[in-house]
Amino acid sequence: MESEMDAELGFHVEAYAEDLIRSGVPCEEAMRRARLEFGGGEQVKEECREARGVVFLESLIEDIRYALRMMRRSPGFTAVAVLSLALGIGANTAIFSLINTLMLRRLPVRDPGQLVELLSQYPGEPRTNCCGGKAYAHIRDYNHVFSGIIGTAASGFKVRAEGLAPETVTGNYVVGDFFPVLGVKPAIGRLIGPEDDHIGSANSAVAVVSWSYWKNRFDLRPAILGKQILVEDVPLTIVGVTPRAFSGLQTGLKPDIWIPMAEEPMIAHPSRLISGGLGLALMGRLKPDVSIEQARAEMSVLNQWRVAEISKTNKDPLWRQARLEVEPAAAGFSLLRNQFMNPLVVLMAVVGLLLLIACSNLASMLLARAASRQHEMAVRVSLGAGRFRLVRQALTESLLLSAASSLLGVFLAYFGADALVRIMASGRRIVGLPSGIELQVPLDSHVLLFTAGVALLTGVLFGLAPAWNALASAPALSLRGIRGTGETRFRRLFGKSLVVAQVALSVVLLSAAGLFIRHLSNLEHLDLGFHRDHVLLVKLDPEHSGYEGERLYRAYKELLGRFEAIPGVRSATFSGTTPISGGGAASFVKVEGHPENPEDRRYVSVNWIGPKYFDTLGTPLLAGRDFNFQDQRGPRVAIINQAMARYFFGNESPVGKHFTIDRDWKGFGDDMPFEIVGVVGDAKYYEIREATHRTIYLNSFQDGNVSSQFALRTNVGPTAVGPEVRRTVSEVLKTVSVERLITLDDQVDASIVPERAIAALSGLLGALGAVLAAIGLYGLLAYAVARRINEIGIRMALGASRGDVRRMVLGDALGMVSAGLVIGAPVALWGKSFVASLIEDLPVKSVVPIVFGAVAMIAVALLAAYVPARRAARVDPIVALRYD
Amino acid sequence: MDKQLDLLQGTLDMLILKAVSLGPLHGYGVLLRIQQISKDRLEIQQGSLYPALYRLEHQGWIASEWGESENKRKAKYYRLTAAGKRKLQTETENWNRMANVMAGILGTKPEEV
Repeated sequence: MESEMDAELGFHVEAYAEDLIRSGVPCEEAMRRARLEFGGGEQVKEECREARGVVFLESLIEDIRYALRMMRRSPGFTAVAVLSLALGIGANTAIFSLINTLMLRRLPVRDPGQLVELLSQYPGEPRTNCCGGKAYAHIRDYNHVFSGIIGTAASGFKVRAEGLAPETVTGNYVVGDFFPVLGVKPAIGRLIGPEDDHIGSANSAVAVVSWSYWKNRFDLRPAILGKQILVEDVPLTIVGVTPRAFSGLQTGLKPDIWIPMAEEPMIAHPSRLISGGLGLALMGRLKPDVSIEQARAEMSVLNQWRVAEISKTNKDPLWRQARLEVEPAAAGFSLLRNQFMNPLVVLMAVVGLLLLIACSNLASMLLARAASRQHEMAVRVSLGAGRFRLVRQALTESLLLSAASSLLGVFLAYFGADALVRIMASGRRIVGLPSGIELQVPLDSHVLLFTAGVALLTGVLFGLAPAWNALASAPALSLRGIRGTGETRFRRLFGKSLVVAQVALSVVLLSAAGLFIRHLSNLEHLDLGFHRDHVLLVKLDPEHSGYEGERLYRAYKELLGRFEAIPGVRSATFSGTTPISGGGAASFVKVEGHPENPEDRRYVSVNWIGPKYFDTLGTPLLAGRDFNFQDQRGPRVAIINQAMARYFFGNESPVGKHFTIDRDWKGFGDDMPFEIVGVVGDAKYYEIREATHRTIYLNSFQDGNVSSQFALRTNVGPTAVGPEVRRTVSEVLKTVSVERLITLDDQVDASIVPERAIAALSGLLGALGAVLAAIGLYGLLAYAVARRINEIGIRMALGASRGDVRRMVLGDALGMVSAGLVIGAPVALWGKSFVASLIEDLPVKSVVPIVFGAVAMIAVALLAAYVPARRAARVDPIVALRYD
Repeated sequence: MDKQLDLLQGTLDMLILKAVSLGPLHGYGVLLRIQQISKDRLEIQQGSLYPALYRLEHQGWIASEWGESENKRKAKYYRLTAAGKRKLQTETENWNRMANVMAGILGTKPEEV
């Protein structure tokens, strides 16, 4: 269209010129006159475009072409702008995509809004979706609120089949109603139904596999139906495949196989379904007219039966206070959500701040650039460009910048989300997930919509300044060519307030980063009761190795000696539980001469250890003695921790006293007393933040309860002895493999992954924000100095010293920074209480982080102001006064 | 030759419609035709011609297509559409009525009031 118009108008001018020539006008003169009489070419074209009526789209293309030209003309500016904005948008998209995956995405089942999950709340512990089979049956049969309630148990399964390599896949036992209640339809074949869920029936020897399993192992061949596979050596027939979108109810878990619950006794030995030890994750579908409140009320009634049933066999008085709670579960089970939601919300706030900083930074850069384009704007207005058109032009430029940035940002987010998932998965195994976190974070329509929205918002936000500038351009003044007249008081203030905003936002971001880093440092310096450095944990896998019982003890005893002979190893031991591994054993004890009220009884942690355990871990022995190999043939002995000693014995010495462990556990009983031979310092076992549990340590060599979890204290870096450890193991126990090598340091760190991720990311983003604010400040000051060279020259000619000038510029900078601090500090204070509501025991009382943020910002600002200040001080008054 | 007259508001559209009603013309041709039939008594701003052409085309009264000019160059030719023909007719009638009324009014002598 545009070229046609050019051709048509060109033809007119040339034809007219030819006529003029024919009438005797000289050639060049003819062309000139023809053009002159035709009138302003651009203006005519503009009128033509408007007359044609399709003006919007066309002029939009025109605007975009113009904007692209401007971007090409200042590649440095464009690169900085696109990159800083892309980082902001990318970070926001990445975090949002995770939030979307964990929280917003709904299960691909019928009417997910009706789904709720049932959470068991044991006093003092996080809620878990875990319920015994009997309780499940009771709730299923006696509730009036659910149109269906289903139970599932996740597990790993060793799967073999003709033509398939043996592998361990994640799978779920499901009750017969599972798929019908969810309303999931098979991709091919049929899904498990109630008729498959009868213990002992041949019908239940079936399995359903996931779409991705079908694709990866069977190339989507329909022949998979009727195929027999061996699951833990039990033959099952594949009867169907779940739809592609369905990957179970637990985000972060990708089950490949579904097996009827009734088949569990055939597969698992011993069966936990039969013994009642199998925990089911429960999900109910509310009847259409039932509210979640009604469901909560009814569950609290049915819960009474549940805790009464549990209390029949379990002497723990706290169980009677356990509750059964109901929460919406349209997005699936909440296990992962509970772990990561709050950290993600905090990170979302952090990256939001960064984006705001990037926005205001870009706005101030565009504003400075717009000032230098004042002349151009004025010319265009005089030539007949509409004001509206110029505003649109300015907005087009900024939106184009934000569009380019969001493209790059989505690209960055793709990798960013991946990295975040890897960080999440790097933590220790989450109780309730049989395998590590497997999370797919798709950049789906929600995410892309979010990104587009953010891009549009940012584009308008930072484009407003130059757009306003275009609207306010005053051709008469500007064209007169007087330098500085375009600089209105309003614009100067606006530019400054943008820098103030950046400083304020950066202070908030920096103090948040300071807060998280301090929090992490507090956690890392908690007294754990052991020394986490220089300890290597070695886990062996003696299963199927042929070593058992007495033979294994002798081999392990020899192994301990061989480990200690490795250069760099100071001592070696093993234990049933290692610190901060997230698990452990516990039981009830009776202490001789200290009867307890049944209501006051609490679990005591039990750990089986080898000799030199406390030495190796660095837990102090406070009284008595350590275990030794001679205990094996002597009377039963135990070592207790300080918390236990204090609770039962107060100031008395516990050494020489006796206790028994309850009979219902591991074959112990009242007739099997243990003598306390030592007292050790308290140490943390589950979490680094927990209150210390009362703990007893038993000697593995005495109890026949050796563990394959070795611990080595080293003089050198613990990983350095790794190869030697592996070699020693293969020499002493040829058939035993090393399952895992990890330093105690790493194991402790793995328990605080969210805290570490937040500290690292907020630190990084805080630094980035400060740098952006510095760039903004530098840009503004450099521009101001350049503009005021004339004035500075006059000042110096009138007697101002170089120091005065430098002070003037630095004072300007400090003024803006102080204003930023005054605004930022209260916001940071408010922000602290916001994040404190999301993350427990943050050191919110400390003012150090805010002071840190403020000091860091002042330092960065002075650095940014230094160059312009020096430049101002170097102004030569003679040159400056001649300057334009 | 008479002094050239400035174009009355809104009359350019009618002149263009009239010019192309006599046969397809390119833009420059429209200008020449109007000058020719007005015997050079009307002054037409060359630049204002094209916005008018585009507007009339957009309104559907004239249509355009690319063709070859007298001197073998590519040029865009405009012709009157059926709608344009009707438009020209009504505009002509309106104009004549208006001109009559105006002439009547302007020709009024004091004694006739």
